[in-house]
Amino acid sequence: MNKQKNKCRYLLYLSAFMIVTGITAAYGQPDKFIESIYPVGKLKPTDTVSKLKVGDPAPDFTLPAVAGGKISLGQYAGKHNVVISFVPAAWTPVCSDQWPGYNISRDLFEKYDAVLLGITVDNIPTLYSWIKQMSTPKEKIWFPVLSDFYPHGEVASRYGVLRSEGVSERALFVINKKGIIVYIDIHDINERPFLEDLAKALEEANKQ
Amino acid sequence: MKIDKSLKFVILYLLIVILFYQYNLKEAKGAEPVSDAESPYHVSIKNFPAFELPALKNESEKSYLGHTETGNFNIGQIKAKVLIIELFSFYCPHCQRAAPKVNELYQEMQKQDAIKEKIKIIGIGVGNSDYEVNSFKNTYQIPFPLFPDKSMGIFKLLQARSTPTFIGIKVNENGSLEQFYLREGGFDDIQKFLAEIIKLSGMESGDKNEQTKK
Repeated sequence: MNKQKNKCRYLLYLSAFMIVTGITAAYGQPDKFIESIYPVGKLKPTDTVSKLKVGDPAPDFTLPAVAGGKISLGQYAGKHNVVISFVPAAWTPVCSDQWPGYNISRDLFEKYDAVLLGITVDNIPTLYSWIKQMSTPKEKIWFPVLSDFYPHGEVASRYGVLRSEGVSERALFVINKKGIIVYIDIHDINERPFLEDLAKALEEANKQ
Repeated sequence: MKIDKSLKFVILYLLIVILFYQYNLKEAKGAEPVSDAESPYHVSIKNFPAFELPALKNESEKSYLGHTETGNFNIGQIKAKVLIIELFSFYCPHCQRAAPKVNELYQEMQKQDAIKEKIKIIGIGVGNSDYEVNSFKNTYQIPFPLFPDKSMGIFKLLQARSTPTFIGIKVNENGSLEQFYLREGGFDDIQKFLAEIIKLSGMESGDKNEQTKK
């Protein structure tokens, strides 16, 4: 009986030792978020033909939001300017840091009375995990993230930014309170648009 | 105390598993330059490139870095024995999370008279425009100078891989620069970080030598 007890004790000590060494070692590992980003390599800068131009009325749409419910572009008409940020795909480079930049720029959007809508062609569960990882403990993603997953990329297609491989362009549309498109940036998919360009467009939109 | 055969076998098996696990973790960490058994962040790179930075914006930045001239300047002109360079990005969530901690580090460095004038810190916004660097500075109320590296020229020159990265440079009396520290990722313990910078830079022994000379 005593032997059995000793055996258990040794095993318990060993397990504790293993857990402690395991935890210490794992603590020093590189960040899991960076490791999870899929390396896409260099892509064709743009892969679509414009369907819309500045001055056109923005096509209305309704999409499911990660936070629940549905959001329509039309609900902001007459109330706020709108920025639509299409990014190609969750868990890819560039996209994974473009929105975190907007996440700490809430003041900029509010200054020009603008709401930001983030759209990708990913499904809700993927977007849920992705934006959870990019939020900071203090600042959760403050803007609605919408899924253009099914019918696949329908809104991206209507805005002329659905690429042949099924993801969207990295594109920014600024829509004024009258529902008119006042700024379009179909950006090189491999590069991030600079914030000052959007800031300037918002300033202009808010004057109208 | 007797240990029977089967228990010995179990202990041996577990030890092998632990050793194997630890070995694999070290392998996975891979490219991290380990040249000091005590710190995984210690590197020794002589002739660190003395790159140029854009002009300082205000008097308090000029006074902090001890550089009064206008126009672009060289990092070797910063008045310090040790320079900490944080490579960050406005867009990087990890840099956003690290920002308050780096501010605390600066405050701690300012509090300690022994190091206040000797260790300085600057931030370089990788791939960021001036506008984005200023937004980052305002969002987190960053008290030390930040500079944009819009074209990522500095990031590439330093062969950095990610943000945030912390680099420790010794500014030698002859003006040459020597890198002694490289940390990829943030840190939790300011005191530990600072103690490591002081120790690995050799500042402590340098001070003792100065005192002996006197």
